[in-house]
Amino acid sequence: MMAMGNVSLGLVELSAIREMANAGLAHATKSLSEFTGHKFNVDVPYAQSVALTRIPMLLGDGEQIYVGIYLPVKGEVEGHIAFLLPWESAQLLWKMVMGRAPRTPAEVDEDAASAMLEVGNIFNGSFLEAISDIAKFGFSTTQPVLAIDSCSVILAAIVSEASQGDADSMAIDTEFFDDEHTTSGIFLFLPTVSGLRSLFSALGISKAA
Amino acid sequence: MTTTAVTVGMAEIHVTKGVGIFTCPGLGSCIGVCAIDPITNVAGCAKIMLPESFPDKQVDKPAKFANTGIPELIGMMERLGAERTRIAIAIAGGAQVFRFGSDCATSKHDIGSRNVKAVTDALNRYGLEPMANDVGGSNGRTITFTVETGIVTVRTAISTEKALANLRDLTGNEDV
Repeated sequence: MMAMGNVSLGLVELSAIREMANAGLAHATKSLSEFTGHKFNVDVPYAQSVALTRIPMLLGDGEQIYVGIYLPVKGEVEGHIAFLLPWESAQLLWKMVMGRAPRTPAEVDEDAASAMLEVGNIFNGSFLEAISDIAKFGFSTTQPVLAIDSCSVILAAIVSEASQGDADSMAIDTEFFDDEHTTSGIFLFLPTVSGLRSLFSALGISKAA
Repeated sequence: MTTTAVTVGMAEIHVTKGVGIFTCPGLGSCIGVCAIDPITNVAGCAKIMLPESFPDKQVDKPAKFANTGIPELIGMMERLGAERTRIAIAIAGGAQVFRFGSDCATSKHDIGSRNVKAVTDALNRYGLEPMANDVGGSNGRTITFTVETGIVTVRTAISTEKALANLRDLTGNEDV
């Protein structure tokens, strides 16, 4: 049993969550591949209980510029979803969907921003759709927002948003990349503690969390 | 004497007496607070995440919230011998990191500006006023505070380092 704050998870719960995340990510990468016309893959996701404040340290507290799309999830299973790309990967993704890319972060205009918000929406939305199909729960998403800054700043901003509810969470994260490994990024799903409980009961694991 | 460099993480407070360099990276909506009593050489740095603690929840880390973090920072400095009325302060951060998307125009993701107000209010309750600040906007910041010189510098992911304040420069302070 691993425990931290309010989140206690056994092996059964962890493997159920990872299996669910795997299915969600498979659907999400398929949608991303269709949208961009490039084949994308994901690594097996990590699922771990963490104090939210440790997330930047775990996922990337570097100063490299990233583009991050963040989305709070409402409904029966609440949480936070984010999709982060290093600047060069974001440029390649822009080229895939728009045929051109901003040369510098300052050049990102409304068009480029909405194209990237759409990419994030497709990935995150497909992930949520797939897991809500499996667990049979409803969710509603709010509008995604986009940031361009260092990885540590974007993750810290997401952690601040999530910390308005909980001190701890389960971080489900993985890396996605295209077949040629020229584009890669980070996917992060942070269900709230109550969202995690709903998820477990929806999956038929009622004892956990 | 070796100068120790300390990285101040989210919801952390570090204090020192004498020398030291505090670095507070990844300040998005968070606020970095640098403070020093130049007479006793007691200095501190806090990285505040949110405006206010939740009435229904236990505070796991005082530095997470402005209303608990500022009293904690001042208390820790006083225990090392700082005199409250002499403490000089600079703050930076409170940006709105998410700048694109329809919800950015609304108040949904305005933690940064609420943090600026809450930190300033909490300082005011101790009769303290930041002598310099670099807050708001949409760019994340990194601040560095060198205790020996009192100099606080700020940079963003896209800009070079610039001086924000010299917390040992007491010009204009009538007590000196």
